[in-house]
Amino acid sequence: MSGPVDPSPGPPLPDEPLAPGSAGDEGWRRMDTRYLVVGPFGAARQFAIPAVVAAVGIGSGNGTWGLVALPIFVVLSLLFGMVPWLTTYFRVTDTQFEVRRGLLNKTRLTAPLDRVRSVDLEASLLNRLLGLTKVAVGTGVDDTRIELDGIAKDDGEQLRRFLLTRSRSAAAPPVPARAPAPLPHAEPYADPYADPYAHPYAQQHPQQHPQQHPQQHPQQHGQQHVRPSAEPEVTELARIDWSWLRFAPLSLARLAVLAGALGFASQFADDLPIFDADTVRSTYDYLAAQALGLVLGVGAIVALMAWVVVAVLASVVQWWNLRLVRDGANLRLTAGLLTTRSTSVEEARVRGVRMTEPLLMRPARGAELATLATGVGEGGTTTVLPPCPRDVATRVGHEILGTRGPLTVPLHRHGPLARRRRHVQEQLAVLVVAAVLAAAVALVPWDWPWWLPLAFVGVFTPLGVVTAEVEYRTLGHRLTDDHLVVTGPSVVRRREVLETDGIIGWVVQQSFFQRRLGLATLVATTAAGAEKVVAVDVPHPTAVGLAHAATPGVLDEFLAR
Amino acid sequence: MSDHDREPAPGAEPTAVLREPQNLVSPRAVAYWRVSSGIGTVLAWAAVAVVWFLWSDRPWWATAALVAVAVAVLVPTVVMPPVRYRIHRWDVTRRAVHTRSGWISREERIAPLSRVQTVDSTQGALMRLFGLRSLTVTTASAAGPITIDCLDADVAARLVAHLTEVTGAERGDAT
Repeated sequence: MSGPVDPSPGPPLPDEPLAPGSAGDEGWRRMDTRYLVVGPFGAARQFAIPAVVAAVGIGSGNGTWGLVALPIFVVLSLLFGMVPWLTTYFRVTDTQFEVRRGLLNKTRLTAPLDRVRSVDLEASLLNRLLGLTKVAVGTGVDDTRIELDGIAKDDGEQLRRFLLTRSRSAAAPPVPARAPAPLPHAEPYADPYADPYAHPYAQQHPQQHPQQHPQQHPQQHGQQHVRPSAEPEVTELARIDWSWLRFAPLSLARLAVLAGALGFASQFADDLPIFDADTVRSTYDYLAAQALGLVLGVGAIVALMAWVVVAVLASVVQWWNLRLVRDGANLRLTAGLLTTRSTSVEEARVRGVRMTEPLLMRPARGAELATLATGVGEGGTTTVLPPCPRDVATRVGHEILGTRGPLTVPLHRHGPLARRRRHVQEQLAVLVVAAVLAAAVALVPWDWPWWLPLAFVGVFTPLGVVTAEVEYRTLGHRLTDDHLVVTGPSVVRRREVLETDGIIGWVVQQSFFQRRLGLATLVATTAAGAEKVVAVDVPHPTAVGLAHAATPGVLDEFLAR
Repeated sequence: MSDHDREPAPGAEPTAVLREPQNLVSPRAVAYWRVSSGIGTVLAWAAVAVVWFLWSDRPWWATAALVAVAVAVLVPTVVMPPVRYRIHRWDVTRRAVHTRSGWISREERIAPLSRVQTVDSTQGALMRLFGLRSLTVTTASAAGPITIDCLDADVAARLVAHLTEVTGAERGDAT
């Protein structure tokens, strides 16, 4: 089996350069020559949609167009596919990872090594056949990541290991990845800004490494700066269990993607003879004449079975060979059947986790897990576990957080006023829609029955009551030793856990109606994940008290005595 | 750890109350808000007038609606500036920034200076006329920028100097 990238540590770093680059050009190197095979395919894919549209648009009349267009398409793809190889250079110096690219608009991207937070490797099927991979480097402050295509797989692995070990060793003397044991609940923790983690780079200075010579290859320095135990220990946190596939059909997030794909396909379906409107109508008439109920029932069953198959297949493709490991100070996720992904992030940058239990998964006791981190792509959240048993998600989540509790503790409810607000909002929505319906029935001369708005209210008012109650029961917050735990008002139970050290500010919002009820929405701002964690409808004094307790010292000067 | 497994007792949580920030914005802000809001009001009145004269055989409810719109757009210009002047307040210490803003809804923002990344000050053309300046302090979170609107230009300049000095002394990447 040609499995994905092996996440095991592998042999120690060799002392030779990452790859034989031509000497004397200040260490600048090109992408691997094998990229010349991959590039044209990538370019062809970019051209494919406009080319197909053009071909369908003009070429439907005469066939000669295709004969002319096809060679042009191929030649253009070849040319454009080679441009990146010709114009992209990268190098690793003592202090920076640099990429420069561009034919006309030249860009130069630089990541200081001490700012490297995450390194992702991604290899599509074609890339894997050729032994290539794409490297994406995330830095702490910018959201943009530096992407570098067409690197030999082994070089990519080395680059990842070098960048992450180097970023860490350059940064600070080694410290344990987490506080070893949670503090007793009653004891307030020390000023978070005195914590070495608050400023892990405080001691970092280029001058710390005066012995380094810029012309020397950084690889050797990487070796020097790795901690004495140069081979970091690898602990496995999770591995795919195929029994988890039973949860795949319960996660409807993929359904939206599928619907989009179907919508896209239907654009082309018009051109197919069987989707002729007449054909459809006659088929429908025929079927309806047989037994409408039977047809609908069978249709529903077929759709359901198709969904189960699609969901399971997609889950297999995405999560094949999943491994989540702790590799020294980094957290690494590898998965993928066709395209393999390997995401590595410095664990100190993982500021929290998010556990999601969609409505359908709640009775099945399933959940998904994502990490909230800074300096990674995709909006700072990385899904690290597919839909899986909730016990697994909590165990792995606690493992990542380095403490037990935040994902399982009971939360504080927000009180009767918050509950009332949920009910009012639900019923208001029902009434607004009913009013619009009533106006439509009264004013628009469609033959809608007069009782339509009443029927709407009759159905949706009880539904609103149930929804509001479920939402209120989901709503909650709690401050544990080192973490702020919050769930929002939603039928999807989404518990967000944020390290209090990762909180960089507070926003207390009150709408007009919240002000009348003495409630507030508390927003903890952070650089990780979606950059904020929101607690809705907390009683105002509790919200301020929560903020005060979570970040001692920050609010001191602003509190009423 | 056993403490975690118990259902939290109601009312067991600490509570606290924020005091009002001490500093008001520039008194000229009231006039500035009135003028900038008044421009919008006048434009809306012009639109109402156009409809009024072009649609002469309008039904009674359209007349009522037009009058209602004309009155409603006046409310922000008349009511908002003094209310907002009372609400908008700020505090900057050596450790943190605290602002309060809004006039129908309220928003209070607090950020420790150790997490501040940039300090910007901006001045629109109309603000320059009134000698006002706005100050924005950003952190590494897109949800966290703190703006103090319509400060006296001199006060804003002093604040920028203070904030750059304090935040410049900070190390690390403030995430």
